[in-house]
Amino acid sequence: MKHGFILLTAWFMIVSFYGTAVSQNTDDDLIDLDLDFKIEEVEKKPYSINADIETKETIRFFDRDALLFKQRYLDKKNEATAWQTDLDLTIEGQFQKDFIKLYGRFNGLLYYNDDENFESERKVEEAYISFQPSFSLAIDAGKKVHKWGKGYAFSPSAFFSRPKNLDDPDATLEGYYSLSADYIKSRGGILQTIAITPVLMPVNRDINHEIGPKDEFIWGGKFYFFTLDTDIDLMFLVSDNLNNHFGIDFSKNLTPSLEIHGDAALVKDYHQYIIDEYGNTSKQEDTVFNFLLGLRYLSRQDTTYIFEYYHNGQGYSAREYETYLSLIERGFDQYLNTSSQSLISQSKTMSAYYNQQAAMRDYLYLKVSQKDPFDILYFVPAITVVYNMEDQSASITPQLTYSPLTNLTVDLKTGFLIGKNKTEYGEKINNAKVVLSIKYYF
Amino acid sequence: MHWDMFNLQDKKGMKMKKILIIIFLGLFSTLSAFALDGNEILRQVDRNLNPDSFEMYRKLINIEPDGTKKEFVMFSVKKGKDKIASVFLSPASEKGRSTLRIGDNMWLYIPNVGKPIRITSLQSVTGGVFNNSDIMRVDYSAEYNCEKIETIDTGYALYLKAKLKTVAYETVTMFIDSEKLLPYKIECYAASGMLIKNLYFKNIKDFGQGVIRPALIETDSPLYKDYKSYIVFANVKKRDLADEIFTLNYMHKIDGLR
Repeated sequence: MKHGFILLTAWFMIVSFYGTAVSQNTDDDLIDLDLDFKIEEVEKKPYSINADIETKETIRFFDRDALLFKQRYLDKKNEATAWQTDLDLTIEGQFQKDFIKLYGRFNGLLYYNDDENFESERKVEEAYISFQPSFSLAIDAGKKVHKWGKGYAFSPSAFFSRPKNLDDPDATLEGYYSLSADYIKSRGGILQTIAITPVLMPVNRDINHEIGPKDEFIWGGKFYFFTLDTDIDLMFLVSDNLNNHFGIDFSKNLTPSLEIHGDAALVKDYHQYIIDEYGNTSKQEDTVFNFLLGLRYLSRQDTTYIFEYYHNGQGYSAREYETYLSLIERGFDQYLNTSSQSLISQSKTMSAYYNQQAAMRDYLYLKVSQKDPFDILYFVPAITVVYNMEDQSASITPQLTYSPLTNLTVDLKTGFLIGKNKTEYGEKINNAKVVLSIKYYF
Repeated sequence: MHWDMFNLQDKKGMKMKKILIIIFLGLFSTLSAFALDGNEILRQVDRNLNPDSFEMYRKLINIEPDGTKKEFVMFSVKKGKDKIASVFLSPASEKGRSTLRIGDNMWLYIPNVGKPIRITSLQSVTGGVFNNSDIMRVDYSAEYNCEKIETIDTGYALYLKAKLKTVAYETVTMFIDSEKLLPYKIECYAASGMLIKNLYFKNIKDFGQGVIRPALIETDSPLYKDYKSYIVFANVKKRDLADEIFTLNYMHKIDGLR
């Protein structure tokens, strides 16, 4: 923990010093409002490199009575809190010459916590080559994020991308290796724009192996239409070994300040793995339907409301989820009475399904954010609520974001999980979390 | 006799009616002529402010009461009356963000988020006094009708009313230099009649290709007391642009147009 504090303090000092230095520079550079005012960016270079560095301190407050805490730690952890310090560097670069563009984004994370000491991770989030022979056509090959769907927090129709983090839906995702194209046709009349985006994604032991166990080529596509001031997408994914997916989404402004969006997907022959309270697993096969309906509203006071209802057909019912938690409860009792971890181990084999975010069927999401309150520019307080409609448990996240200097963002986020016994948010490992992050872009 | 008197009165009435109709039509046609003049002047102002299809660089500067300054640099392309697409070139925290406007529809693409989201005219992608409608400005004549025109010492005052409720400012008063047919001040009002902001057009500059327009817009607002915002224009150039550029699928590629 001490290391964490030292690392955080050191980075805070570096960032503060740099920020002050930049600020002083800017203040000295008085505005020149005459006609010779230069915009340096007019001179374009064929390449560009950008980066951001983020230091983050996270404090997790354990719920020692929670079943997921017992599943993970049994009775072997005495601390009430866990601290982690992260230092995260993202570098993004691109080179463009005529109709060829190369793009890459790389991330390195160094973190410290009491359990693991210092650890690091590195990943290539995106790296692709893009051929753009005309305004209508682009062909991309390499590792790329394909973010489909209109949902803000949930994305039932994002068939070719990793799931969003509900804690931070805007966060950058890591892409998959694919070959894709984008053909756009714009015309007058009611149907103003049509765009077609075919995607081919190989899956084998070397690339994209997270998607499926067998070697194959997954393919699919998206058709976009802009008509009657409405965005509409039709999407599909076809696979020999995975489930075929079909999706549709739309987005439209009902009034200048009110937007409505929807997103729906049909997953053919979806296999759901279920475990009973004795640790026996079974597989159910069914065609399931996932959908969301959302609104985004901006009030006259500059308050933004984002609301979504999400039905997750691939999720577990309240009864199935409670059965899983009962298994953990029985497993913990078994461990206390006999020191045997067999039931707990059996529950852990299914944790990838049951412990994932939004593992159940019906959720409400609400984010309320206020721009520049009390005349403080670049200050945005917000609160986010994720409510599980089936078991009435919830996650509540107040957040303060402030950008006091150009390229510097300070973010303080707290999270509280509320729920009765044997509910999704009531049985998570933590019952509260505080995250302070400072991010600098350069 | 009685019948004749009635006829006589009828004839007189008819004559009166005819006179009234002629006066009415005369008044109406005069008013229409004024309205047409105002809208024609507005269209001319639009064309003088920018060509029909063009590219430009803009620097947005927000200055807070304590002197703190934030700057944003954008590259924009505009085609026709109501299509504009832009990409942020600086600061680093905003780089790669792009905006698109087609009529009343506005979208924002954030590289991290990876897909366009719909935004509204009153929001501000930069913060400060400028809102999205100011940053993604389409032709004034696309959004407003001239309801009244007045001749003033320095030129004309056009009283504009929004064609649709989706427009950011319900009414706008545009003060025009009658010789150059360029605005030097615009007052923007909410539906309640409250003044939201003033735009001052300054530093008329010859950008070449016949484009002569103000190179600086200064803004203040009673809603943001002691805050100032500026837009500086550079490299305003005529350019033929394909319609496909003004689509959601092209938003992440706008920087490639430079």
